[in-house]
Parts: sequence; C-alpha cells; structure tokens
Amino acid sequence: MTDQNMLTGETVGKSKWYNAIDPVTKLLFILDMALLSFASTNLVIEGGLIAMALVLLLFSKVSSTTFKALGFSLFLIFTMLVIQGLFYSQNQTVLFSIIGIHFYKEGLLYATILGSRVLVIILASGFFMVTTTISENAKYLEQSGLSYKTVYVLMSVCYILPEIMANMRKIQQAQRVRGTNPQKTFIQKLRSVLPVLIPLVIKTLDQSMTRSISLQLRGFDNPKRKALKGNNHYRLASVGHYGLTIIAVILIGWKLWTKINGLF
Amino acid sequence: MKSEPINRTSMWKFKLSAATMTLIPAAVGINYVAKALAEGLKLPVWLGSLGTFLASMLAGPVAGAVSGFINNVIYGLTLSPISTVYAITSIGIGIAVGILHAKGWFSSIRKVFISAIIIAIVSAVISTPLNVIFWGGQTGIAWGDSLFALMVANHAPVWLASFTDEFVLDILDKVCVAYLAFFIYRQLPQRMVRFFRDDK
Repeated sequence: MTDQNMLTGETVGKSKWYNAIDPVTKLLFILDMALLSFASTNLVIEGGLIAMALVLLLFSKVSSTTFKALGFSLFLIFTMLVIQGLFYSQNQTVLFSIIGIHFYKEGLLYATILGSRVLVIILASGFFMVTTTISENAKYLEQSGLSYKTVYVLMSVCYILPEIMANMRKIQQAQRVRGTNPQKTFIQKLRSVLPVLIPLVIKTLDQSMTRSISLQLRGFDNPKRKALKGNNHYRLASVGHYGLTIIAVILIGWKLWTKINGLF
Repeated sequence: MKSEPINRTSMWKFKLSAATMTLIPAAVGINYVAKALAEGLKLPVWLGSLGTFLASMLAGPVAGAVSGFINNVIYGLTLSPISTVYAITSIGIGIAVGILHAKGWFSSIRKVFISAIIIAIVSAVISTPLNVIFWGGQTGIAWGDSLFALMVANHAPVWLASFTDEFVLDILDKVCVAYLAFFIYRQLPQRMVRFFRDDK
C-alpha cells in the first residue's frame, strides 16, 4: 500500500486474514504491545515482542512507509547507543573500547531497552498502518458511536492533503516562472517560503470556507442525521476489545503497583 | 506594524461548527505542506506547527489544540508512529498560541518575539518528559543532540540536558513559525478572519 492510498482510503483486499480484524482491536493491540514493552526491562522479553510484531508485519504486508519510519528511528537508536554508551550517568563497567574511547555496559543496556521499546511501537503500529486505511478506521469509529462531525474532520484530512499538495506545486511553479528561487542564506530561504505559503494558505482557507458553506447548505448539522450502517466483516470484535482492554488495565495496574512499592 | 487583537466574548468558547470542521483539516494540511517545504529547502526548522498557529489565531485555543492533536494522530497513523505521543505538545502549542493571540500578544513584531519564546518554553516543557521516556532525552536533531551529549558528559542532569536540547531547537522553530503566522494572518482577507472567528 502506498502512502497516497493509505491517506485517501482506497480499499484493501477483503480476502486477507487481517481484514477480519477491526481497527479498534488493532489499535488496542498497539497499546498492549507498548505497555508490555514499557513494563519490562528484560532484553529477552523486548526481543520476543519485536520478533512477534515483525512476524505479524511480515505475514500481513511490507510497506515502504514502515521502512521510512524504521529508518529514522534506527538512526536515532544508533546515536542513543553512542551517547548513552559513553555518557550515561550510571556507567561503571567498560564493555569495549574503540580507538581509546570506552563504551560502558550500563549505558548500552539502557539505550538498547529504550531502542527496543521504540521498535516494538513502530512495528506494531506498522501492522495497523499497512492493513487499515484511515477511511476504514473512521467508518468503523462512526459505527461504534464516534460523532459524525469528528469522523468528518478525520476523513476530510485525507482528501484535503492531496488537494493542498497540488495547489502547492502550482504556486511553486508559478513563482519559479516569475523568478522567485530558493536562496542561499537561512533568512533568504525563509523569505522565499512566504511567496509560496501566503497564497497557499489563503487558497486553502478559502476552499475551507466554500466547503463549510456547502456543508451548511446540505444540512450537515441536522440533529436527525443518522450514522451510516455498514456491513461489518470483522470477526470476534467485542472479544478482542474486552480481552485487550483487560490486558491493558492489568499492565497499567501492575506497573503502578511496582512503582508505588518501589517508593517504600 | 500593528494588527488588531481579536475581541471575542470568550476565547474558550468552542463549537464543532461547519466552519471549525473545515478549518481543522485545512490547518492539518498547512502543517503538512509547511513541513514539506522546510524539508525541501533544507531549512534547520520544522515549520510543522504553522497550521496549528493559524487555527488558534483564527478560531481560538481549543480549535488550535484540536488541530494540533489531529495533526499528530494522522501523522502517527500514516507516517511516523512515535509522533502520536507528541500530540500532547501540539495541544499545548495550540492553547498557548490561542491565549497569547486573544490577549493581543500577536499584535506587533516585538510582541510576536516574546510570544514565540513563551510558546517555545511551553513546547520544550511538554516535550522533555516524552524525549526522556522514548529517546533517553535526545531529539534526533544532530546539533541539539551534540549539545545534549556535551551537557551529559559534563555531568549535567539528563532532564536539564534534554530540556536545553529541545529548547534550542524549539526557540528557532517557534520564532520562525510565529513570524510566518503573523505575516500570513495580516494578509488574510477580513471576511475570512471574521468567518472563522464569528462562527461559534
């Protein structure tokens, strides 16, 4: 799935196994994975959670979006390993040295655990990102009782973004033709943003006004409006919701209990 | 160079009216393109809160906070999962901008600078605990993290080092965004300002 159709919400194939899992269950799954990861300071458990999320992702869909998110995080995790390995306040035991620079075990362990937590969240979210479109999510939330106005706000972002991007390209092209080019210094560059941003913002807000008037004319605010009833193809949705919520509550309670016990 | 502050009955008054419902997605879109423009020009700032600033200035702190929150949720669910937790920072920015604008702190060039500093402090205060929890205090921006490493190496507390790392990045970004928002807001047609301001 490309970034574009994730935003616009083109339908994904309904025959796959992950299409039988509803969006809320997937979101609760991310929450549980993150809580489990934060509850643990054991590298084996962290490794197990990463493996589990990775397997789930590999068995669903591999997307460039997940790789992009992973790429940035892996770079940050690498810098975290270097900085904490060298300077972590509880560093005591030298693990290895490179050209006379000592890397300490405590800092590296701390950074590895933090990095593992980030990877767990990204991989678990990756499963949601590649298997659920925003429109599918929004429709399901509306059927589950979320206000249609909130759903409209969420959904319209997906449709407005490509429109704004297209407007930006047109304005940039027009400014280039007029000779407004990116400059060298920071201030010059910032000033060169204005001839693009001002017309773009005005056009975007103008389109919002038109959209707002159209909504009012079509009676969008009608209090008698009813949510669309769609055919749910999800399996065991309520079991998933209750089960994962109970796990989340237990994990939060357990973490709080251990924190309170640690104070006394 | 002065502009009129908004005289509103209550800046906290918020209704998800048709105007606000269309303003919020527009603000999210502006955040997205401003960030893309900054990345394209390789600017050392994000500019990714410009839409949130404008939404707060046009429709008040709650609309700005909602715009910021939805911006991070959408970004987190489509591009960068960790961004979702920084939705709290965006809420803080939206509220701070809305209050400062309603109190007239976006009415002159000098006041905008002070507002930007206040907003940068709000942003750094909220982001620091998140940076410590998720990244051990780092921000992921090379020169900010170099400062963090230098401070930690000199036995400064992690929280202070992390706050400094975040603040030096935020101050530059928020000053740029505040001035951009100030200049853009002044260029908006009055009918547009009134449309979003009065529709409550």
